[in-house]
Amino acid sequence: MISFLKKHTIAYVFMLPAVVFLILLLLVPIINVFIKSFYESNLLIVGDDLFIGLQNFINVMQDPLFWTNVKNSIVYTFGSVGGEYVVGLGTAILLNQNIKGRAFFRGAMIIPWVVPIVVAGMTWRWMLNPDYGIINVLLMNIGILDQSINWLGSETTAMFSVIWVNVWRSFPFYTISFLAVLQTINKNELEAAEIDGANMFQKFWNITFPKLKGISIILIVLHLIWTFNNFDFIWILTEGGPLNATETLAIATYKEAFMKYHYGTASAISVLMVVILIGMMALYFWLQNKQEAKGDN
Amino acid sequence: MHLSRKTKKRLLSTVTYFFLLIASIYSLFPIFWAFLTAIKPADEVRSPTPTLFTANPTLENFRSVLFETQFPRYFLNSVIVSVGSVLLSIFIGVLAAYALSRLSKSPGVKTLGVGMLLAQMVPVVLLMIPLYRIMMNLGLLDSYTGLIISYTVFAVPIITWMLKGFFDTIPIEIEESAMLDGCNKFYLIVRIMLPLSVPAIVSAGIYALVHAWSEFVLTFTFVSDDSMRTLSTGVFNFMGLWIVDWGRLMAAAILIIIPIAIVFTFIQKYLVSGLTAGSTKG
Repeated sequence: MISFLKKHTIAYVFMLPAVVFLILLLLVPIINVFIKSFYESNLLIVGDDLFIGLQNFINVMQDPLFWTNVKNSIVYTFGSVGGEYVVGLGTAILLNQNIKGRAFFRGAMIIPWVVPIVVAGMTWRWMLNPDYGIINVLLMNIGILDQSINWLGSETTAMFSVIWVNVWRSFPFYTISFLAVLQTINKNELEAAEIDGANMFQKFWNITFPKLKGISIILIVLHLIWTFNNFDFIWILTEGGPLNATETLAIATYKEAFMKYHYGTASAISVLMVVILIGMMALYFWLQNKQEAKGDN
Repeated sequence: MHLSRKTKKRLLSTVTYFFLLIASIYSLFPIFWAFLTAIKPADEVRSPTPTLFTANPTLENFRSVLFETQFPRYFLNSVIVSVGSVLLSIFIGVLAAYALSRLSKSPGVKTLGVGMLLAQMVPVVLLMIPLYRIMMNLGLLDSYTGLIISYTVFAVPIITWMLKGFFDTIPIEIEESAMLDGCNKFYLIVRIMLPLSVPAIVSAGIYALVHAWSEFVLTFTFVSDDSMRTLSTGVFNFMGLWIVDWGRLMAAAILIIIPIAIVFTFIQKYLVSGLTAGSTKG
């Protein structure tokens, strides 16, 4: 026992601060949320919470707004991640070419990622403004639009606009990650393929793309989770409006807890978020495996 | 496909530069436009036919934000909370990463590693309510300590994984020879691992700093006292107050970006290498 302690003391001393932090401020709160989802609990009322079984979940799921939230979360998540992936991959391929001024272009493309979300949100709100916003002015001058659009204020365009801004802020992370992998690809291999008569797209599809698979999985999984859970973009741009058109589950949780003070219901919504998230991940990896199995045949 | 190889190459590079230009405009225009708006006099900002450059540039908007609002106070708060949380996260992260990288034979270390990976998946909104209650019970709402602690919780896992990835690349022989010379573990970390890891620690620190500087939801939830707001939440509040005063809002936006821009130009290299270390090995 003493020798065990002596051998491992250092490891435990080093881990202690991290473990204390994670247990007290992550694990305990998570457990708390799961427990509270079965209670009638109000942030303003101090006193014993009432155990009500599955009632919170039933209430939430019977509310049509919840299903709108689910739909919005899914559209927002997949729209954002899809857009980020395409823009990120495209810019990474561009930056990987033999170009002059790579440092400048690379710097330019990381900028959105270091801009605080509030600044990104404010700037885009100004640019998308229906009265004096530059986007409307430009589009009308070119002749694409006849009259200005209230991008963030109309039900039909709000979600698209929010996704657009999110893609702008988030794509650089993909660019940098893809670029790092692209730079490890052996040029000889590409040249050999070229000599064998492969065109640009064949080279990309057969040599480059398979090498990006690992990083793609990491990026997609992480960003699916982060986007699904994201609160600040939408809150800063629309607060979930107009008429709940951009209200995702994360926004709904916040409103339920901090505007209506229904801790129990809010906990139930966040538990359902975790369930949906796990479902999404399971589906993703199932599709991934299926595709790989098909590839092996 | 009758083009000669040279023409084809030239065509390809023209197309590349064209798209690079478009992508750069896409990335930079919003900030550029914010700046151009901020230096316009009020009547030109709200014009249905805006011009790109104003003939009468003014610093009035900047003056107003800096001297007539709590902006300097928000700035100070942001600096205190960001720097505090980055230092604390790095301290916790270095120790944990060392354990994950070098002492993973001790039972429980690997569990911690997996726990840290899973922690990435926890929705912040899910934690906001219980964290709010914890902070309320500890009397830490509207306090620097409360904000620093809660920022740190979300920064530690990613910092630990970035640093672990780097520690893994330091040859273990260096340590072994130091051990033979009679160094103890703490001495080893301070005198050998840390100096070798400066680039990794800097880039992990920058990553955490960018996040802390941008952090919104935790401060938005835990702070109700205006004098405790950070830049993100303070300026967000301006949006409600100055609903149509876009010149002033854009001046505030530019003022937030300036410190990051300065830091960024100096350490772009670190940031890039740190990000890639984290994402390709993690």
